[in-house]
Amino acid sequence: MIKSLKDCTVSGPFRTPPSPFAAVGFSLNYQSGRLGLKVVEADDYADQGTFSFVFRAPQARLVNCVITGWSDCDQPGAITESMMQAACGLMSVHGRSTGAIQPFGLQYVSTVTTALALQGGMAVALGNLRGLAVSDSHISMAAAALLSTSQYIADATSTSSSENLSSADADHSPAPPFISADGIVFELETLNPDPWLRFWTQLDISRTLAGKGWTAFLLRYAKAIAPIPGELTRAVSKLGYADISRLCADAGMAICRVRTLDERMDDEHFKSNWLKGPWVFDCAVPQPELPLTSASGLLPLSGLTVIESCRRIQGPLAGHLLALLGARVIRIEPPGGDPLRGMPPVSEGCSVRFDALNRLKVIREIDIKSPCGQEEITEMARHADVFLHNWAPGKALELDLDYADLSRVNPALIYAHASGWFTDGGEISLRSPSLPGTDFMVQAYSGVAQKISRTCGTQGGTLFTALDVLGGVIAAQGITAALLNRQLNCAGAKVTSSLLGAAILLCSDDFQNRHDFFDCVPPAQSVLNRVFETGKGKIAIECLDDDTLLRLMQTLDLSAGDKSELWQRLGRSFLGKTAAEWLVVLQQAAVPAAIVIEDLNDLHGDPRLKPYLEIGSYTRVTSPWRFQ
Amino acid sequence: MSITVIIPTILRPLTHQQKHIDMEGSRVSEIIDHMDQQYPGIKEKLVANGNAHRFINIYVNDNDIRFQDGLATSLRDGDVLTILPAVAGG
Repeated sequence: MIKSLKDCTVSGPFRTPPSPFAAVGFSLNYQSGRLGLKVVEADDYADQGTFSFVFRAPQARLVNCVITGWSDCDQPGAITESMMQAACGLMSVHGRSTGAIQPFGLQYVSTVTTALALQGGMAVALGNLRGLAVSDSHISMAAAALLSTSQYIADATSTSSSENLSSADADHSPAPPFISADGIVFELETLNPDPWLRFWTQLDISRTLAGKGWTAFLLRYAKAIAPIPGELTRAVSKLGYADISRLCADAGMAICRVRTLDERMDDEHFKSNWLKGPWVFDCAVPQPELPLTSASGLLPLSGLTVIESCRRIQGPLAGHLLALLGARVIRIEPPGGDPLRGMPPVSEGCSVRFDALNRLKVIREIDIKSPCGQEEITEMARHADVFLHNWAPGKALELDLDYADLSRVNPALIYAHASGWFTDGGEISLRSPSLPGTDFMVQAYSGVAQKISRTCGTQGGTLFTALDVLGGVIAAQGITAALLNRQLNCAGAKVTSSLLGAAILLCSDDFQNRHDFFDCVPPAQSVLNRVFETGKGKIAIECLDDDTLLRLMQTLDLSAGDKSELWQRLGRSFLGKTAAEWLVVLQQAAVPAAIVIEDLNDLHGDPRLKPYLEIGSYTRVTSPWRFQ
Repeated sequence: MSITVIIPTILRPLTHQQKHIDMEGSRVSEIIDHMDQQYPGIKEKLVANGNAHRFINIYVNDNDIRFQDGLATSLRDGDVLTILPAVAGG
């Protein structure tokens, strides 16, 4: 936390939030406290459809922060986590690999929404302090959900080459994760084909088949599927986990068991990680004479300059969010440009997946490995407000571009590292070969995969890159907090965040239920949270309490009975009408329901999402924030 | 041997926007050399230090050449050689 932010307060109805926002209230309480903000309980709220809180920073105007479910339109819908996952395409992306569209067992949209809302509040306060006229911040859960899937939406809606992988026609291999002969569920990871080939060759898999497995393995990140040939999964299933681990070590491939949440909570540094939250701030000594940037513009971070040297998703998304808030983001790419600019589908000369996260940035091609390039970056950092990278551990030191190097030329700099494994205990040290800090490895290690499997009845986590996205969001949030602190207390800082930190946020309800460290109550489990087939299309239903479930049963003319039989009876009942027809009926009965988006192109048909989608050569997701 | 080469969008400016081109050659490396003669500049996009570039995948009939004989992978008449930029995340 940033101790010097203790005079900033966040006040809202955290203990008694409107029921659709129970997870938001819980997460906001936790996130605010971990940033060092003072949390003040305000027990009143306007209505069930809105969660409001007030952010106060010394000498800045009060910032009213409003969270709604949908955009402000005349066709509001029910607000629950699963309604958002269903209507905004997350369930669809998650379901590609499992073959079943269903909720994925995390308060994911609620957590992303909360982080963005808090960031919006801090950004507006910072803008005020810098003389900008922005005030008040609004965000909807739908906007946060769309932002989370923006790369998949870009891919699916590209006019040059459409992606249309419905779960019905994809090859649903059960792997990954893999299962050993002794029943251990595990993930494999490597970013290079050579260890992959060496590993499978040891198991007498042919080169051709290993190659087909590699092609399938690479689809995880782009398409959220991994149709790995059955021969591969069967080969590992004949060996014990210890033997597989040894073969991995010999081949140079990483392996990680899908650990339970209890195992995670037994980790040596877990309590400290949980108490401190997903960020590590190293604030410099205040220097009252620090030259701070003057401001002009309409957005809260207008006038600030961010230098970004990042690849893939987590870091670029953090830079993208700062750009959406008005910062000028200069992205460093290798000479010739980032190779991922060619990642299909390509439109107007650039990968739409790449463009979705980088379209607002100024590009500067620099060879960061050359002394000349390092000198150029140092010079850029001298005049920047933020330097953001997601390099591998130790690389910044090797390049002479560590915090110590750059803060020497610019003491006011906010130096941000968006990492894989970093926590307040330092870089987590794991077995050799070291685990790459990728989404699926961190899901397996952190308990997130087990949490998802508990809900979905699958073996592991989701191939939707849940941690990369949330990791990017919290990186940008930490940077904004550090910028606010710099404005208030004249101190630069280093901010480290990680995918493992993002995982902490997503498991915070389980952690609180077990340890009860904080004075806040995690959201209760829904009594019904399922997707049903209808006569046409799928419908998601989430009953937060018994009264709602009772209304659902009355609407369907069903009597109470054995619960397992109840699901079957519900399933049969829903086949009698189309999803659209059921939606009308259930809305009248005040039962939360949403038609499940199965093809991301269908997002365009929902008027509640229109303000956040911009149609062009691919569909761009617009800023989730609205400021006044 | 006649080989059909499928060109990804990002490289089509080098092939006059052609999506497919027919080339002659018995190995992947020969095809790339012949392509470079006809469409200068394409080789440096595909090959680095004597191997397929890390961020480019080359398939012969859906088989990744890294898992065959790399650029020395042999070809048969009618084979389809697909070039695809790598996808990545994480």
